[in-house]
Amino acid sequence: MNPLFMSLLLIVGLAIFGRTMVQKIQLLMALEPTDRVNHIMDRIKNVVIIALAQKRLVGRKKEWAAGIMHAFIFWGFCILLIRSLNLYGEGFVKGFQLPLFGDGSILGYLYIALKDVMEGIVLLMAVYAIFRRAVLKPTRLHNTWEAYFVLGMIGVLMISDLLLDGARYNLIMLHNNPDHLHFFNNPQYGSEFLWTPVSVGAASLISGFSADANRLILTTMFWLHIITQLTFLNFLPLGKHFHVITALPNVFLKNLGYPHEKTKLLDLEDESVWEDESLGINHIHQLNWKQGLDLYTCTECGRCKEVCPTYTTDKPLNLHDFNDTLKAELFDNADNLIKRAKLAATIKEDGDPEQNEEIKAQMAELNSKKPLIGDVISEDTLWACTTCRACEQVCPVTIEHVPRIMAMRQGQSLMAGVYPQELNVALKGLERNGNPWGIGYDKRAEWADGLDVKTMADDADVDYLLWVGCAGSFDDRSKKVSKSLVKILQKANISFAILGKEEKCTGDFARRVGNEMMYQMMAQENIETLNNYKVKKIIAACPHCLNALKHEYPQMGGNYEVIHHTDFIDQLIKSGKITLTKSLEGALTYHDPCYLGRYNSIYDQPRSILEAISKDGLKELDRHGQESFCCGAGGGRMWMEETIGKRINVERSEEIAGQEVATVAVACPFCLTMIEDGMKELDKDEDIKTQDIAELVANNMA
Amino acid sequence: MKILTTAKKVVDVELTIHVENGAIVEDGLQYVINAWDENAVEAAVQLKENNGAETTLVSIGGSDNTDMIRKCYAMGIENGIHIDDPALDKADSFVFANVLQKVYEKGEYDLVITGKQAQDTDSGQTGIILAEGLGIPCVSNVIDIEVVDDQHVKVSRLGDAGTEIVEVELPAVVTVSDSINEPRLPAMRGIMMAKKKKIEVMDLAALGTSLDEVGGAALKSEVAEFMASESRQAGQKFEGDAAEITARVVDLLANEAKVL
Repeated sequence: MNPLFMSLLLIVGLAIFGRTMVQKIQLLMALEPTDRVNHIMDRIKNVVIIALAQKRLVGRKKEWAAGIMHAFIFWGFCILLIRSLNLYGEGFVKGFQLPLFGDGSILGYLYIALKDVMEGIVLLMAVYAIFRRAVLKPTRLHNTWEAYFVLGMIGVLMISDLLLDGARYNLIMLHNNPDHLHFFNNPQYGSEFLWTPVSVGAASLISGFSADANRLILTTMFWLHIITQLTFLNFLPLGKHFHVITALPNVFLKNLGYPHEKTKLLDLEDESVWEDESLGINHIHQLNWKQGLDLYTCTECGRCKEVCPTYTTDKPLNLHDFNDTLKAELFDNADNLIKRAKLAATIKEDGDPEQNEEIKAQMAELNSKKPLIGDVISEDTLWACTTCRACEQVCPVTIEHVPRIMAMRQGQSLMAGVYPQELNVALKGLERNGNPWGIGYDKRAEWADGLDVKTMADDADVDYLLWVGCAGSFDDRSKKVSKSLVKILQKANISFAILGKEEKCTGDFARRVGNEMMYQMMAQENIETLNNYKVKKIIAACPHCLNALKHEYPQMGGNYEVIHHTDFIDQLIKSGKITLTKSLEGALTYHDPCYLGRYNSIYDQPRSILEAISKDGLKELDRHGQESFCCGAGGGRMWMEETIGKRINVERSEEIAGQEVATVAVACPFCLTMIEDGMKELDKDEDIKTQDIAELVANNMA
Repeated sequence: MKILTTAKKVVDVELTIHVENGAIVEDGLQYVINAWDENAVEAAVQLKENNGAETTLVSIGGSDNTDMIRKCYAMGIENGIHIDDPALDKADSFVFANVLQKVYEKGEYDLVITGKQAQDTDSGQTGIILAEGLGIPCVSNVIDIEVVDDQHVKVSRLGDAGTEIVEVELPAVVTVSDSINEPRLPAMRGIMMAKKKKIEVMDLAALGTSLDEVGGAALKSEVAEFMASESRQAGQKFEGDAAEITARVVDLLANEAKVL
């Protein structure tokens, strides 16, 4: 078309884009390190399933229409990348065709057909997206000018390319191709027009115009397309549409092996970390680069807040705003953070201590000026989270919200010493008696009196250790669950023992509220006890204990095969060690505990047990499985007041009550307390019984 | 204002205490800071934070008191004195008060804050005897302390009939109730930083006194024997016809409980 103008546009467009990207990458590199480049094949698999196949968008039944809309726009853009290269080539060489994509091969024809149909579909999807935003107005979306601007640009890109081809077709067919324009015309596959119905449609729209007018349209549309595309490219990194560039890398770099990055095992003995106040996240520079990339990638779709148990019950935690605020703070401090990182690189371990102190002082000067908690993120926002992971499960770009919140709580708890004071009672109980209730540790095994349960101290030569947990040991309601579990294990002739008064809280809740010191104290003592008895297999009666024992204790040298009681009972049923009577009357539903489901992917086993007990079958709740709704007690919330908004357990209990069931089954002592309390609040506790699966099984064994 | 506060290490009363042959079975027990002393420490730290007071903690006991003193440092106490003398193993409230008096006299304090009693012996005497020995005022069971000026504090005391508000001239001793405050959990950074802080450890000689002088050689009281308290028996529940139950209960009260 015009090599000079094309060169100018490309140089300016790419130079500005390149500069922006270099700044963004420099900023990420200034953040804390984290290792995310192992297991390449697993990572590629994630990219294929989550990003390319758009699993979390098209695979989500609740919003299939929006999912399909997004998926087609995404796929359309992927396909149109080749077309764009072709157009840039055409800017320099008339009739340019990419090798392999010319009219010499079927590939070229298939491509133009695909591209043509896709442009039509993307255009329709962009129109639908605008309609959805402007008319349907889903509550989770923020209606910003940016969104309309980008949708508008997508529309312009599609229309300009279709009209460009349309005008070309008209010049060739109706005006005898005065400019000797190139078109596909292979004797074997026929003429280009047969393959591109949408462009032919566009051509007919402007067929009434003269050759000159068509020529003008062709030129205008060509440059409009190129300029829009370069503008679009430069606009992306400035806002939420950065995800167009960062989503694929973000999915590729997502944490593997555990749903999100595990809490780092902090070295609390290192004196310098206390002096430098470098534990947890209290300043924006303490994010790691992947957490920075998460912020770049947030598309502000709002799915996270829509499924959040705290946001939906009017707490101030709005993950959409949370990310947005952190991103703004990150960008506001970008220059200082980059300078800070350069200074950090000049500190040498064996260098002059005085000089190092001087550098550290200079670095501290470059810290963000606003306290991260208090000024940027409010305390109520930080402490509202139940760590239920609903937000992460639903995030289409695999943002890891929870580890960031937990690290900020660490910063508050360890460094600033600021946290909800009502936690003190539970933490003190943990410190003194190894349980958050603070009941004397010597009473831990009293629930088992008269049940003929051995302790490891009596006889450590058993197949399984039954990890009872604090609730099962001290909470009157949960003690009944422990007794039921013992009844089942004894019926199945399982060789097991408990630790008795040697068992302590796993430390799960302490870790979730940022008290890493208390967590490590608990974990260390438990691991010593467990390793001392050479424990190999553990049955855990609490999903929180399960999660800590299975995923967190290995960090400190505790490696065991840990199984949740529902999983174990399911195996007992399948292997015929216990037989059920299928005698439970009345409708039954199941509330998935977060730490069993979303953290440990145990969804099927509880359901298979319940199906085997219930006469009337299992009725699923509206929010179940991966999108189950938290009871409100996770993340240490069990030990904090819930003073803002509606109570989460009441919200969930209402949902359960709406199903008109006779029984709601749970598999976690916290859920048991919360749901039962919720039912009492609704005055439904007589009609709807809240029972642990172990209790239901124990009462329905043959 | 200089504040002296006290901390006693006591057995954790959450645990079941077993007694054998008139002595407490030590095995399985654990020791914690006396809860009322924890309130005293918190009250002192609050006065430091709000009124710029200087805080000193004194604790009498064996070497295992060190951890407790460090936790008080982490709560915000500035200076720690540890009186560690095996001769004091059997000391009673009177002896403790005399030792505290020696500590007080070395430091010229304006205000002494102690817990109103200790969870292990529940005597509730040490603070009061200390005031008596020093000849200064004492207010017990205090639920609020307000600084009036350099010479005066206004304290609220929970009495039988209500709350008394008393203005006291300094120096004085106050013994605090557990409803005065909610003790903070020591800040973790504080605990770690407190590891380096010095504790002044002294035996009676270093304190400039002797067992005789503090009355430890001829104790005024001695524990003769420990007895475990009897645990409460489970109650009885009656169900059925009201008239029948009434008759049965009356019969039991008259003939079994013999209260009618």
